[in-house]
Parts: sequence; C-alpha cells; structure tokens
Amino acid sequence: MAEPRLLMPQLYDGGSPPALQGGVCDCGHVFFPLQAYGCERCGGHGTRLRPKRLAARGRLVASAVVHLHAGERPAPFVVGAIALDDGPVVRTLLTGTDVSLPPGCRMVGTLVPVTPAQDGTPRVDFRFAPAMGSDLS
Amino acid sequence: MSRTLKDMRPVHVIGIGWHRYQFASETPYVELGLTAVRAALADAGIPWPAVQTAYVAKALLPMAPGRAMLRHLGATGLEILHVEDASASGSAAFRHACLEVASGASDVVLAMGVDKPARVALAERSTGIPSLADDAIAPFTHFAMLADQYAHRAGATVEDIALVAVKNHRNGSLNPNAQHQKARTLAEIMGGKAISGAFTSLQCTPVGEGAAAVILASDDGIRALGVDPARAIQVVASVGRSQRVYEDATRFDALLTSETAGLAFAQSGLTAADLDVVELHDAFTVEELEYVEAMSLCAEGDAVRQLKAGAFDIGGRCAVNPSGGLIAMGHPIGPTGIGQIGEIVLQLRGEAGARQQPGARTGLAHMVGIGAVCYVHILQRPG
Repeated sequence: MAEPRLLMPQLYDGGSPPALQGGVCDCGHVFFPLQAYGCERCGGHGTRLRPKRLAARGRLVASAVVHLHAGERPAPFVVGAIALDDGPVVRTLLTGTDVSLPPGCRMVGTLVPVTPAQDGTPRVDFRFAPAMGSDLS
Repeated sequence: MSRTLKDMRPVHVIGIGWHRYQFASETPYVELGLTAVRAALADAGIPWPAVQTAYVAKALLPMAPGRAMLRHLGATGLEILHVEDASASGSAAFRHACLEVASGASDVVLAMGVDKPARVALAERSTGIPSLADDAIAPFTHFAMLADQYAHRAGATVEDIALVAVKNHRNGSLNPNAQHQKARTLAEIMGGKAISGAFTSLQCTPVGEGAAAVILASDDGIRALGVDPARAIQVVASVGRSQRVYEDATRFDALLTSETAGLAFAQSGLTAADLDVVELHDAFTVEELEYVEAMSLCAEGDAVRQLKAGAFDIGGRCAVNPSGGLIAMGHPIGPTGIGQIGEIVLQLRGEAGARQQPGARTGLAHMVGIGAVCYVHILQRPG
C-alpha cells in the first residue's frame, strides 16, 4: 500500500496533528494560508512576509450542517470556523460529528482519507475534529 | 481637501420605478430594464432626453447591456456607465449618481439596476491563493455559521431568528413588486426545505430577475423640469466602505456595517433614533438581527426582543424592510440596492399604501456585497 499523499500540501503538512502553513508579517499580523502578494494589515510584501507553521488547535467559533450544496461535494456535511490558538480563524470541513457543535468546543486538526488520485495513490485531506483526551488541553 | 455629500449641493430622488422581481423567465433583460426606467421617468414627469448620464448596475448579465437596452428610449448620446459591486452593485451605482449631481457635473442622472440569473464565478476563488474548503462554504453557509454564533451569543433560538422571515414575508405580501407575495406562519417557515444550519428556504433570499430605476436631480434640475419639489426626497448621506482587518474576523459583516452606518450618521448629523424606515441587506434572516444592532437601532443582543415587541414592524418604532427585504421582495442583484432607495422614497412621500410607515420622514438604505463591501444612504423628506 502506497503512502497516502496530501491533497493540498501547500496548506498543511503530514504531522500528527498536521500543522497549517500560515504566514507572518514583520508588522506582527499572522495569517492563513501563506501568500506572497502582501499583508492585509499593513501592505508589506517581499521579505516582510515569512512562512509560519500554525498549530491546528483552537476553539470552535461556529458550525453548521450543510443540507443543500450545488458543488461536487455531496451534502450533508458539517463545516466550522475555528479560532486557532495561534491567531487566525480558519473555516473548513469538520469530521467526527454529523451535527453542529457548541461554540467554544476544543478542536484539533486531523487528516482523513479522500478520493484516491487517478493512479490509485491514496490521498488524505485536512479536517478539524472535536478534541479528545490529551488533545483537550 | 476631501468633501462629502453634505459639503456639496443638494441632490434629490425625483422618480422611481420597477419591473417586478420574479423567478427566472424568458423575458429579455431589455424589457425588464425599460419597464423600470419608463416607470421612473413617468413618476418624475420628465422626458428621457433630460437625463444626462445613466449608471447601469448589473452583476450577472454579460458585458455592456446598457446601450443595447437604453437606445430604445431614444439614442440621445448620454453617458452610460456600468457598475458592478456584487450584491451592492445598485447601491454603488446610486452613490456615484448622487456624487455626479452633488458635484455639479450634471443636473439629472439615472441610476438603474437590471439582472437575470446566471452562473456566478467569484473572483475570490481565482486569486491563486488556495483554500482548505471555501467551495463548501456558499453564502448561505457563511450566514448559517453566523446564525449559530448569534444564537449562542444572544441566547436566541432558531425560531427567534426565523421570526425575521415572518415579518418580511408579511411585508412582501403587500408589495406588488415583490418576488414572494405570500404571508407565512412561523410553522411554514420552519417546515420548509432545509438549506444550511438553521436556515430553511424561506429564510433565504430568492435570487431572481427584475429591474429598478431612480432618477436624481439637483435643485436647478428640479426647477428647470418643473418637478414638484414636495415629492422630491433629498439624499442626506452617502457612504461606501470595504472590509478592514478586524479583531473579531468572523463578524466582519456586522463590524463593516457599524462603521459605514456610523459615517453616514456623522455625515447627516442624524442618529439611529431619527430613522423611521430602514431597508437593509437581509439575504438571510440572521443578518437583519446583526445589522439592526450594528447600526444602533437597538442594543447589542436585544434585536429578538425588539422584533417580538413589534418595534421593526410597519407601524412600529422603525419599519425594517417594509418592502419585504431581500427575503421576500427578492434579490436580483443589480437592481436590489436601487429598489431599496425606491421603497424609501415611496415611504417618505407617504405613497406606500398598505405598507406605509405612519409619519415616515427619514429612511436608511444598507447593502453589503461579497468582498466585503458596504454602502449606506440616508434620505429625508422636506419639512
């Protein structure tokens, strides 16, 4: 069995839990995802912007079960907004729940299997899940 | 030195018109648009050649619909400018039409919006910056998460939030230009098709087709054309803003609204307590609760209590979305912000019939658009 490939390696790594590939500006603004166009807070660009690994841990701000969706993703699915302990708010799909969760809930990043690549290589993608046990701290 | 509307010459709305907002049909956009413009010209009692510039708001129609439509009123050679600012396209067109008249560059200007449903591609998705799952978060899901946040923050139930739709469908049932013209019970709204989070279909705006038009004039224009000044409604504030970096990034819609409305109040010397009528961007129920608080119509967290007490009903302290709002009147995109101005003008003239807010003197129009951008206009009748 081949090692699973990350669906979007520019956004997260394969750690456990995975880290998100964010950025930080010399002005102190921390953002996700990493981009080189310029800082939304101060306009700084070039060497003022540097990569910053963001721990995929935080608190749930809001969530919703999506019942109807026009894209390729089959509904229902659950999405959430997570305020990372490292600053930025990240919005993405949730796993480990099929209902919305109470705001404030501790969340942690995880990788879940998704559709394999055309050559059959298994792939994983990033999700947030409710934190359990030692992740709760 | 920069100047605002209050430092320039007065600008008034002298004519309003619509083509009813409706579900997608075979009707060409030309017919939708001409119907609204001819109604606005007739309402103002002025001939088409008096119009010096046309601002055409559209977000979904293909490139350059303006002259292909307006030439059928007589190709007078007027300036034609297209405006796109997502949901706020009509509001942006109206603002720049106001500035053209207020600056003295023109005496009579048309601002209109026309659109038909089409597949939407958002430029935010083609920036080259990847996202985890932005494709999974359609606008109704963005606002479904805000509803979840609001419910927990304000201690509101999903039924409390849905009461906005009961009020706005009731208002829409009285509006011949509304896409939905049927009063609905809370049970009907809650029992509708599940969309996202707590939202059912009747808590979400229908995006259809339609047109709206308003004609703006200076005092010189009003005198020269013999328009009845008693039916002219002055625009006393116009503000456009875009999202900044906020401490609470998830609440950018409300924070941007608060900032934009605050600037409009400062420009006009008015406060939320002066407002008799408000048309605001209620594409989804929770937005109305967020925005009435953001523009200080009530205290933070108090919107549900005020709504239940009837404060935002026609006949209440301040009628909010007497047209039916985006939820019932509809949201054909380009026309929406123009149609809000039309509703406020009707209300301030005392011509709103069954939807009339008694004694209405001052009204505010608010739109947000994807980006996010925000516009606020305040209008006031003479006397």
